[in-house]
Amino acid sequence: MSEAQPISETEAKARLLDLKSLGNPKAMKLYRRFDGILILVLFTFITLGIQIQFTLTAGDWDYWIDWRDRRWWPLVTPFTLLLFIGAFTYGIWQRLRLPIIATAVTTLLCLVSWLSRYLNFYEFTHFPMSFTFPSTYIGLGILLDCALAMTRSLIASAMIGGGLFGALVYPLNWSFMAPYKVPVELNGTLMSVADLMGYQYIRTTTPEYLRIIEESTLRTFGGSVTPLTAVFAGLCGIVIYAVFLWVGSWINGLDKYAKRII
Amino acid sequence: MNRILARKAQLKSLQLNSLLAAVVLMMLAGDVLAHGERAQLASMRMRTVHWFDTQVTPLNVKVGDIVTVTGKFVTSVWWPKHMPSIDDTVYLNIGVPGPTFLRLHSEVNGVPMMRSTSFPLGKVYEYKTVLRARIAGRYHVHPILNVKDAGSLVDKGTWLEVAENDSGEPFINEYTTLTGDTINLETYALGGVYFWHVVWIVMGIAYLLYWLIRRELFIPRFIRIRAMGDERANELLTKRDFIASSLFFTLTLALILGGYFWAEYKYPITIPLQTGKVDVPLIDVPVGDLVIEDAHASYELAGRSLTIRAKMTNNGEGPIRIAEFLTANIRFMNANVDAGEVVEGEEMVARDGLNASVDVIQPGQSVDVKLVASDALWEQYRMTGLIHDPDSRFAGLVFYYDDNGTRYYQEVGGAVLPDFF
Repeated sequence: MSEAQPISETEAKARLLDLKSLGNPKAMKLYRRFDGILILVLFTFITLGIQIQFTLTAGDWDYWIDWRDRRWWPLVTPFTLLLFIGAFTYGIWQRLRLPIIATAVTTLLCLVSWLSRYLNFYEFTHFPMSFTFPSTYIGLGILLDCALAMTRSLIASAMIGGGLFGALVYPLNWSFMAPYKVPVELNGTLMSVADLMGYQYIRTTTPEYLRIIEESTLRTFGGSVTPLTAVFAGLCGIVIYAVFLWVGSWINGLDKYAKRII
Repeated sequence: MNRILARKAQLKSLQLNSLLAAVVLMMLAGDVLAHGERAQLASMRMRTVHWFDTQVTPLNVKVGDIVTVTGKFVTSVWWPKHMPSIDDTVYLNIGVPGPTFLRLHSEVNGVPMMRSTSFPLGKVYEYKTVLRARIAGRYHVHPILNVKDAGSLVDKGTWLEVAENDSGEPFINEYTTLTGDTINLETYALGGVYFWHVVWIVMGIAYLLYWLIRRELFIPRFIRIRAMGDERANELLTKRDFIASSLFFTLTLALILGGYFWAEYKYPITIPLQTGKVDVPLIDVPVGDLVIEDAHASYELAGRSLTIRAKMTNNGEGPIRIAEFLTANIRFMNANVDAGEVVEGEEMVARDGLNASVDVIQPGQSVDVKLVASDALWEQYRMTGLIHDPDSRFAGLVFYYDDNGTRYYQEVGGAVLPDFF
């Protein structure tokens, strides 16, 4: 995805000196300190970036248990996560060969989401945690990063990891979301526990019709909506991840302008 | 030295003054009393939904007690054309600060309102919402209609005091599922949520630590890759890395599938989220004998009053008394006609706000009537913005009574012109 640029003799000498510095304990100590700062900066940037991006794109699908349907939520969330992960992964992989971005993004998102739900939703606005707990995508991040580490290929990791990332959103969260899909009855109407909570815990500006759930024609496939959505989400995951790896490669190539300025 | 000391004293004095000013400003700040209803365009409030007979009972409760909100509304035939209509999709909601109350039941014309519906224009609807107090505090409770693509249409609010319950026990919201389990929705299934999140966070952190705790991390790896070139860069990933990644991959897949099948075993009966629209039948209401024609109005900026001129005909067999004009949730009552109730806690009522040139219209009589609705409420509720609206028309309900004391209403609407002098 990138082309090797010819380097000058001075640049080659500088690189050789850099390489030699790896055998110098003092230089290594300095590098480790700088690495610590880089981790802090990188993780802070990822945390803020993914929180803002996820809030703006997936938002309500992750805030409320009565939005996490079998049709749109498993499609929207991997889409929005993979575009962030893909763009970041390319640069980190090309320059550092570290397969950590997907896991870092999903883990940091999970931690910051818990903080936000506890402070903003539970403490400040009194929603019960059982109605607003976040979903988890950490397992999907690990699968994607491991696929990259094992295959050492961005394309292969897009095929395996990107596919699994999209396809396994629902099974990953089902372990703790299933109780909220148990049926109840209210005034002669069948509802799930999640629907009942959405009705009882009042959201003044989130009326029932605002939920984008169960809207599609996949029901014509004999009602097998969940597995079909998983397959479709997997295919989308492959495509989106590949596209945003390409976007990442484009962003990665912008450093040539920085070099010109310097 | 003295100058420095004097300067310090000045600074200290400035800090004290600033602190004092901040405290005074905080003390001056009042409660937030509105929920945005005054921010809506005046014409929008006048020509969309006419709420009336709103009643919130009781007004003082404890956590766990039941509160009932009832009332009626008429969907205006003068609905602004530039605004998405209520006859498409609408949801009956309640305006309270978040889930300080639980909504146990809501209905319109007897139909449960868990779902959205649509309301044809020019019809009357009776609604009821049953709440259970959940969090102690003082709340302004508003019935609300959320209209798709148009936003919230808010009735006036009623203050409600919720005190802590005597027992001091945590709030419980129990419900029995169709599988026969009684659950507390406040904390339902949180054990599983916490367990699985801890498992995944530990897995994520373990994976990150594996890759981040190593002798050579960012800078050294960058230097090596630059020296090795793209073709040989993969040599930085060792056999140990491959084995660790394989183990993480396998363990993750096993946990996902294990968790999925465990949940399927534990909760064999589940359903998808439910959604849809319901139909609301219309109700029969007594139709009065008053016919209002050729209505038009002028708005006097200086006098803060709306003057409606219309031809009114009494087609009935008894006299009619004009008692009230309602628009934008403000009740302008005719003090000359002893009718119309004001319920406890009701706001936005001008008890002597309506002056009718003809208080009583006799049977068969057809008269030109001038209704003047004037009160400081026009200013208070920002109705003076009427002249800034893109479609200068008004609408409201005229309430009148017959001989037997039966109340009727008739919607009136038309063009409105400002009167600047």
